[in-house]
Amino acid sequence: MMVPDPILFAMNNSRVTVNEHTVFEYDAEFSLLDSMEENDVPMEYNCRGGYCGLCKVQLTAGKVEWVQDSLVPLEEGEVLACCCVPDGPIAIET
Amino acid sequence: MTYSTFNKTKNDALKEPMFFGQNVNVARYDQQRHAIFEKLIEKQLSFFWRPEEVDLSTDRKDFMAMPEHEQHIFLSNLKYQTLLDSVQGRSPNVAFLPVVSLPELETWLETWSFSETVHSRSYTHIIRNVVADPNVVFDDIVDNPEIVKRAESVTRYYDEFIAKVNLYNLVGEGEHELNGEQVTINMRELKRLLYLTIASVNVLEAVRFYVSFACSFAFAERAIMEGNAKVIKLIARDEALHLAGTQHIMNIMANGQDDLEMVEVAAECAAEVQEIFREAAEQEKEWASYLFKDGSMIGLNAEILKEYVEYITNVRIRALGFDDMFEGRNANPLPWMNAWLVSDNVQVAPQEAEISSYLVGAIDSDMDDADFDDFDL
Repeated sequence: MMVPDPILFAMNNSRVTVNEHTVFEYDAEFSLLDSMEENDVPMEYNCRGGYCGLCKVQLTAGKVEWVQDSLVPLEEGEVLACCCVPDGPIAIET
Repeated sequence: MTYSTFNKTKNDALKEPMFFGQNVNVARYDQQRHAIFEKLIEKQLSFFWRPEEVDLSTDRKDFMAMPEHEQHIFLSNLKYQTLLDSVQGRSPNVAFLPVVSLPELETWLETWSFSETVHSRSYTHIIRNVVADPNVVFDDIVDNPEIVKRAESVTRYYDEFIAKVNLYNLVGEGEHELNGEQVTINMRELKRLLYLTIASVNVLEAVRFYVSFACSFAFAERAIMEGNAKVIKLIARDEALHLAGTQHIMNIMANGQDDLEMVEVAAECAAEVQEIFREAAEQEKEWASYLFKDGSMIGLNAEILKEYVEYITNVRIRALGFDDMFEGRNANPLPWMNAWLVSDNVQVAPQEAEISSYLVGAIDSDMDDADFDDFDL
């Protein structure tokens, strides 16, 4: 039996679960917001730069990597979809 | 209430409303009633750029090689953007500074408006580079009926608000006879006009610019007018900050986080705000027809641009808590635009471009002798 390469496995394992039922693969888009749009997952936004706060989601599982600064205050577990990308599999609530 | 450039009444700025409280006295930024405006200032400052940094030498050749109907699209958009930024380079200051009451918001208004003057300077830079006689472009802005029509809509609320604030500062609230005319100045009406003016500015920055942006980026998708697109990308990055600024002002007012009377004012103005958005969207769709009256450009035509106007209007008005204006228009007809509208997504070395996180002169002063332990000479 072939053992999967752990590095390749981690790289490919960027599954995003939205509201416990919609699932898609993050595919190196600039942000989680772009990835959601690419996969036809409805998401509010306005500025795409971390200033307006409209694309705020709750990160319920996994980790994200920040690609832009958020200017709006965030509570524990909240992330802006325009400012981050998944770092491994994640689950979010919109 | 006469405007004072330094109100000597000691006050707590944390308790003032955004507008129509006491005039700002001490410009202090160590504390803020609404921290978002301080963050917008810092971001805008970190975004500072100069148009002359962008080389436009190949754009002139590209422009000369364009068919006439594409030159019309390019120059018409530049004229319209010049109008919009001529207004924005002065109006937030003239309209709102006499009535603002928070230091962080006062400085945000000035910082925002200043950045619009950089945009105006960039249009001069572009026009100088692509046409032999800039007068041909600039003079048409006040002659061209299609632009003049838009200028009226863009400035109507600003001008009415400024006129009423001038009277308020001169004679105060009450019934007055001025030049034989009865004039009523009351605070509720001033606040209503304030809210509507901010809504019209939100539309200006969040909807009206985007037809021009789409055309500029569509040219660059074909690898022409790329210097222009780089300038427009920087302008679009600033505009995203500005539209967030007016969105926050309106939502802070409507949500009761500031002057509580503004909650009622916002509710009363809901229908009129929607009408401001509808008028702007219809004008932008007419503008798309005007741009493409002599022919489309590769990758873009009037119909798809009108769909984009409806889509972006829905995005903007939802951000203010309203329902969609154009039912069913929820998919972006120009998805490639997003790559141009990403704030920090510049795939070059930071020192070669204007990246917000790359701050010139950023020095880490939190060091001690131990940090040099690994150094060998």
